[in-house]
Amino acid sequence: MKYFRTAINTLLWGSGALLWLGLSTLCAFPVLYFWPGKDGQRVRKFVYIQSKGILFFIRLCAKKLTVEKTDAPLGPCVVTANHQSALDLYTVAALGFDNVLYITKGWVFKLPFFRFVMNGAGYIDAEKTPPQIMLEQCRKAAQNGCAIMLFPQGSRKNPQARFKSGAFFLAEQLNLPVVPMAISGTGKMLPVGSIWLRASRVVLKQFEPISPRSYSGELGHLKMAQDVKKKIMDFVNTQEAK
Amino acid sequence: MTREEIIQKTNEALSKEFELPVEQLRPEASFQTDLGLDSLDAVDMVVVLEQKFGMTLRQKYDLRSMVTLNDLYNFIEKLANEAQK
Repeated sequence: MKYFRTAINTLLWGSGALLWLGLSTLCAFPVLYFWPGKDGQRVRKFVYIQSKGILFFIRLCAKKLTVEKTDAPLGPCVVTANHQSALDLYTVAALGFDNVLYITKGWVFKLPFFRFVMNGAGYIDAEKTPPQIMLEQCRKAAQNGCAIMLFPQGSRKNPQARFKSGAFFLAEQLNLPVVPMAISGTGKMLPVGSIWLRASRVVLKQFEPISPRSYSGELGHLKMAQDVKKKIMDFVNTQEAK
Repeated sequence: MTREEIIQKTNEALSKEFELPVEQLRPEASFQTDLGLDSLDAVDMVVVLEQKFGMTLRQKYDLRSMVTLNDLYNFIEKLANEAQK
């Protein structure tokens, strides 16, 4: 039964999700290429719609999808989440953030299918962009109402990996609240290196925003990274032990 | 302060603040490749070590010349010896 469900998930919903990504990009391409909006804002809204579609497919694949949100405003902030799966990119849409600037690794910009969207939306290549320029791009994006999303673990390979402090340094420099987000179950649904979509319980939890001002001193961002990791991973480990 | 004490204190600080497993902290380990520390981590590391050893490192610390942990141990040992004189 388990294998049957995995096969159905992969063949039906996995193919459906890929088809949705491909066809929606193809249809939107002419409009977004010529009218990307101010600093790619229209492309980012399009990614939000795509993400909502992917969440629909995640809901079909999952045993259960639970989203726990707070009432915090959806304005400029730094969203930081743990990273388990390629599906994680789309989960921030579940919290309602519809204008998100992602800071990701360089290889994502090289994917033929995603390249157009990544560049059009003005997403930032963390490996190629010098820190000062990245800071200015994020400052400008935040002034335009953008939320900035990073996965401080930097990779999906080790789900318990350290949270690097760059995201928190950015929040400190721009004086933006940090919104921690816990993602549980996507790693079981689509593990690294697998194409099979397993049925698993997916829980997405948004925590209350944290002001960088509550962390003082030269190592404030490092301490914040440690505290946010503990908050997120305590939740994820509890969920995954159930 | 002996070299062993320097190594122990440095490893304790790096292990605690950067969640590095102690077995990874070998003298020949490179900061970037083996320990996965980036440029911001390097800046943080200076502050962490200043607090641990109670001495100023940042004016004398050249990030570009430090490749491995052994370079760091040598640097702190040299500063500790200078401070004793």
